[in-house]
Formats: sequence, structure tokens, C-alpha cells
Amino acid sequence: MPEVLTPAPSTQQSTFTVALIGNPNVGKTTIFNRLTGLRQKVGNYPGVTVDKRFAHIKLGQREATILDLPGTYSIYPNSEDEVIVHRVLNGLDKENKPDFVLAVVDMSSMERGLFLVTQIMDLGLPMAVVLNMEDAAEEQGIKVKTHALYQALGVPIIQSNARSNKGIKGISDLIEQKMFEKPSPFLNIQELLPKELSLAIQEKFQLDNTYQAYQLIRFHENEPLLDETQREWLTNQLELSGFDIKKTQLEETQQRYKGIQSILETALQKTDLGRKRLTDKLDSIFLHKIGGYAIFTGILLVIFQAVFAWSAVPMDLIDGFFASLSAAVAKLLPAGVLTDLITEGIIPGIGGVVIFIPQIALLFAFLGILEDTGYMSRVVFLMDRIMRPFGLNGKSVVPLISGIACAIPGIMATRNIGNWKDRLITIMVTPLMSCSARLPVYVILIGIAVPESYIGPFNMQALALLGMYLLGIVAVLFTSWILKLILNFKEKSYLMVEMPLYRLPRWKDVLITMYSKSKTFVFAAGKVILTISVILWVLASYGPSSAREEAIANIEVPANTAPQEVQDDYQSQLASAELESSYIGIMGKFIEPTIKPLGYDWKIGIALITSFAAREVFVSTIATLYSVGTDVEDELTIQQKLESEVNPQTGEKVFNLATAFSLIVFYAFAMQCMSTLAVVYRETKGWKWPIIQTVYMTALAYVSAWAVYQFLS
Amino acid sequence: MSTADKIEQGKMAVIDSITPSELTLHLMEMGFLPGKRISLLQKAPLKDPLAFKLENTVIALRKSEASLINVKLEN
Repeated sequence: MPEVLTPAPSTQQSTFTVALIGNPNVGKTTIFNRLTGLRQKVGNYPGVTVDKRFAHIKLGQREATILDLPGTYSIYPNSEDEVIVHRVLNGLDKENKPDFVLAVVDMSSMERGLFLVTQIMDLGLPMAVVLNMEDAAEEQGIKVKTHALYQALGVPIIQSNARSNKGIKGISDLIEQKMFEKPSPFLNIQELLPKELSLAIQEKFQLDNTYQAYQLIRFHENEPLLDETQREWLTNQLELSGFDIKKTQLEETQQRYKGIQSILETALQKTDLGRKRLTDKLDSIFLHKIGGYAIFTGILLVIFQAVFAWSAVPMDLIDGFFASLSAAVAKLLPAGVLTDLITEGIIPGIGGVVIFIPQIALLFAFLGILEDTGYMSRVVFLMDRIMRPFGLNGKSVVPLISGIACAIPGIMATRNIGNWKDRLITIMVTPLMSCSARLPVYVILIGIAVPESYIGPFNMQALALLGMYLLGIVAVLFTSWILKLILNFKEKSYLMVEMPLYRLPRWKDVLITMYSKSKTFVFAAGKVILTISVILWVLASYGPSSAREEAIANIEVPANTAPQEVQDDYQSQLASAELESSYIGIMGKFIEPTIKPLGYDWKIGIALITSFAAREVFVSTIATLYSVGTDVEDELTIQQKLESEVNPQTGEKVFNLATAFSLIVFYAFAMQCMSTLAVVYRETKGWKWPIIQTVYMTALAYVSAWAVYQFLS
Repeated sequence: MSTADKIEQGKMAVIDSITPSELTLHLMEMGFLPGKRISLLQKAPLKDPLAFKLENTVIALRKSEASLINVKLEN
């Protein structure tokens, strides 16, 4: 009896799925954006760590799902991105089984584009071809005789120039009318695969044709949908037939290119315009051995300026908005536990996520522009050799730069890295870059530990801050190097990057990317931050009632006639005592012995626990703990208060130089960001790597902080 | 006979064959095929990776990958 590998879902008449597929940089994303606008959704392909972009659109009376597949050169996978394409096209991914394929080809690079097209033809899927980037082809004197090409391939062909919107109407009409055609096979696969073997596989797995059988046996070792007995059966069949599959694949590649070349002889018209391309001239500037790095540094400075300075205004507005929203809701609702939860837990929790939107949106806009203009692959080219000794590669630069604003978009940006080992190392080290949430912590602690004096023209405090950023970079390189030595993957590191033509950015596409990435961030990180904020609020607001009463009873209640200052002082003492006797206060006391060697008391312990969710929580926690009063925004006040804090037992300053430096170093290295962990979980599809990351970063933080404290005290 | 990493900047070469390795197929899929003419367009500032022009596309390869491509140098 034949085994059913993947029961295809019954597709209703009115709705169908069209998969967009093509080489990288052929304008596939532009076509996708033009067809779908802002209806795009991002999901995950089952079982792999790559995002799938899809959108449901309405065309006349019909509804269609457009699926954007990662760019690939072949249906034989070389990277994780390409595994997706392989699985979707072979119908192994039942959730995303396409009814039709729309193959996009760069007109100025037909040979390589058709290589992929003819592979899809051999799979027997109904398809159509879009010849895109007409303008680039024209510039290089290339013309395609579409009719001749149609005759050779037997599938509908549309010419387009998606950047200028040309041909988009034609593409959507084609989809609406389902004018896809099922091509006849391009190669005679029977010549490649022994007939008995092919028939046996086709029958067992109910496959339509020989090429699918060939694909299955070629990749059966790593196909998660097969069970152990099925895999063994395939391996057995392969051995029995004595068939050399690698050799066959090379043979197939050569035959395919030969066939394509003969088609292009009639279908392609080339005139040598003898012009030096603008792109080549620009490359001699952007890739210059000194100038290239100077330009790159300049671009980085502009991005930093934007992320830190320009986004400060909207961030302050958002901050103010949520503060007044909290106050307004507190007035509006009757006093009680629920109101407290909303005003002290939920609203600040949401605010804590939303405040990062300006930074993230700006960063994605810049990254989008750099990618879209073709500059990003030049950065990869410039940086590859420098990053390599550390186990990173040229493509790791983008995530690391993003990490200076926030590790979350950085980790999301690692998807460009095809090589899993390089990508994993980049994910593991990106949170060590000094992100913007560390900045307020650094500012306060450096203010305590470093005198505001000058060495020559340099302000010592500013130097210390710069030192913290450099410390982050050193930690990144050192840790990557260690990981490179430890991680034992068979995969060999390589770099094969196409450097596309320089182009003006497509602003609409940049905006769509900015919007959809920010949305993903808000929903992915938001859930975690919100949950943690609520839990923290509960732990900080409640405690065993006996301990609470005892703590409050010990504070002297001032007379009604006492001056306002005394009244305020009483209120803050009360808040402090309540926190001390709360569950989180008890937890702080509980961990005190373990953090004593670092120079911390139980109050700092509470701050460590609360800021495990997010570093910036440190400032507000410390402010409450040391009863600074209600205005937690005033960093100077916190600093003065901390400096004068004295240990009641020893009579010594709590925040001496050693403790302050030890804390700075702890905050530089510790994994105190739930949202980052959530994103690492999402990107690596499991708890293994986020747990390893938390353990190594916390250990690094602990040991370094301990060493600093012991050295300085 | 030489390999692609030894092409001088601005000079052309014809691909003769690809040394068998894990990356052979990948290189061929990118368009590095026997009989194709390639030239070295750019060297990264640290002399690695190298950017080759192949037909109308520019592809960057590390020296180690380029050395898998056997070429006949043109004068």
C-alpha cells in the first residue's frame, strides 16, 4: 500500500496560494510589496527558524494568498533559507503548499534565473515567469524576445519593472485569472535516475514525477517529515541501485545550463554598449582601502546620531504620555488593587515596550535604506576579513551595529547569515554590545565612581562611558572567539555574496519594512515585558502580612502638624519599608549571601532581580529602595542619595568606588533583558540557546564583577 | 593553468573547471561554469574577499573559495 507523505489540504475553488520565488536581488520583495501593500503578515515556517511573509489579497471575486519565499539560486538547499524553498516546492510543508508558482527572473541575469525556473518546471508545478528589472537590462544592452522564450519554456511570461510599477497590473491580472501553466519537464530526468528506483519511490510516497522522487532521495537524510523506517528504506534503495547521487547532481547542473544556453541563443539579444557601469565607478569609491572604511564610519556615526539624538524627542513624548495616562487612570478609577495593577503594572509595562519604537523604527529605516541601495553587501565585503578570526563574518556586522541601539532588532537581523554556525555565534554575542537600556545605569554609576575631572582635554566621566562601549565590543570579540573554538558544527564557513547594482532606495518599501518590523517587535517583545511587569508588580506590592505590619509599625508616624518635609520623608520611609517586607524584598535578602562577594547588599539584590526583566528598571527600583521620593526621573537626586547611603552595621559607604565599578561591569555583561531572551527563543526555535546564553552571560558578569570588586576594595 | 584567486585586478580569465568540494555545486549554481569568462573587479581592502565579475553580476568570494575555480588566464 502506498504511503501518503503529506496529505494536501483540500484547496477551495475560490482561494488559492501563489508562491513567489526567485534569485536574491531580483526585485521579488518589491513585487510582493506592490501586490500586497500593508496586508502582510509574518509567520514562521514550521520546524525552521525563518520567517514567512504572506498576505491574503482580493482580486475581483477571488481571494489569493501570496507567499514570499526566501531568495535562492537553486532548489537544492545551501542554507536554511533555501531549505524552505526546497520543502515548500516539494509539497513537504503541507501548511504552505502552493497551487501556483510565480518565478521572478532578473532580465540582466537570465541564465542564472532560468536555472531555477527550469528546476521548478521539472517539479511539474503550474507556473508563470516574470522578467523583472527591465531597466537594468536595457542599460546593459540586453533585450529578451519573450515570444521565443515562451515557445521554449511553455509557460506564460510577463515583462516588468517593479520599481516603476510597470507590469504589476499584468501580474495581478495573471494571478486573478489563474493563467499559470503546467510545463513539460525541461530535462529528461529518466536519464539521470534509474527507472526502477524512481518508480519504487514514486509509488511508495505517491509522488507525481521522477524529479520529485529524485529530490526526495537526494535529501531524505535530513527530511524531518520522514520517519526512521522511511529513511532507512530510501537509504537501502539507494545502496541497492548503486546510484551516485552527487555525481548525478553535477551532471544535472551541466545539462541544465547547456539547455538554457541554447534557448538564450535565440531568445536573447545582446549589444555591447561599451560603457563603464556607474556601479563599477561607485565601487572604486565605496570599496577604497581607506576611503571605504572612512565612508562606512561616517554612515555609522549618522545612524548613532539618529538612534540616540533624533529618537530622544519622540521617546520623551511617549514616556510623558504613559506617565500622564497612568495618573489620569488613577484619578478616574476608584482606588483599589485593580487600579493599582493597571496604573503601576500594566500601563508602565506597555509604556516600557512602546518607548523603544522610535529607536527601532529609525534603525530599521536605516538598515532598509542601506540594504535597498545595495550598500549593505559592500559592508559585508569590507568587514569579512576583519571579523573572520573571531568566528564571525562580514554579515555579522549589521546585527552588532543594531545591538548598540537594542539587541532585539540586531538578533532579528541575523537571518541574512546563511551559515548556521556564524549566525548562532552572532546571536549569542549581540546582547553584549552596550545597548541603550544600559545607558541610564552607566550614567548614574559612573557619576558615583568617577570624579568629574579632566585628563588633558578629556572629561574622565566621558572617557569612562566610552570605555564601557569598548568593553562591550571586546567582550563580543572574545566570546565569539571562544564560541568558535567550542561549537563543533560540520558546516564550513564560506562567503558567497552577490553585490547588486547601486540603486536609489524605494521609499515605500523602506516604510513597509519599518512598519512591519516594528509591529513584529511590539508584539513579540511586548507580551514578555508586560507579563514580567505584572509579576514584578505583584511581588513588590505584596508580602507576608505579619512581616509587613511589623516593618510599618517600626516607623514613627509624624504629627499632623509636622512640616511637609517630614511628612514626605515619612511617606518615602513607608514605601521603602513596604518594599523591604514584600516578596521581592524577601527575595533580595535571600540572595544577599551570593552577591556579598561582589560588594552588594540586599537592596542592590532587589534591583538585580527586578532588572533581570529589563536593565532600565534598575533606576526606578533603586530610586524607590533608597526612598528618593517620587521623582525618579531626576538622576542627580538618585546619585546624591546613593553617595550618602551608609551601611548601618559597618558605618561605611554602601556605594564606594569598588561597589560602583563592580555594578557597572555586572550590568555590562549580564543577560538582563526578557525581550532579548524571547527573541533568541524565537530565532533559535527552542530554549537551549537562550538558556546557555543566560548562563554564560550571568557567569561572565558575576566573575568580572567579583574580580573588579576584589581588585578595587 | 591557474586559479581564480590569482587573477590580477582588471584582468580576464576563462573558467576551466571547478575543483570538487562541498561548494562545487553552489559555485556552479551561482553561475561559475566551465567556459565562462570572469574578471577580478575589486579586492577588499585587506586583499580578501575578492569581487569577481561574471557576465553581468558581481559576486564576492573569499580567497579560499576562489582557489577552487581553475582558470586559464588571458593576456
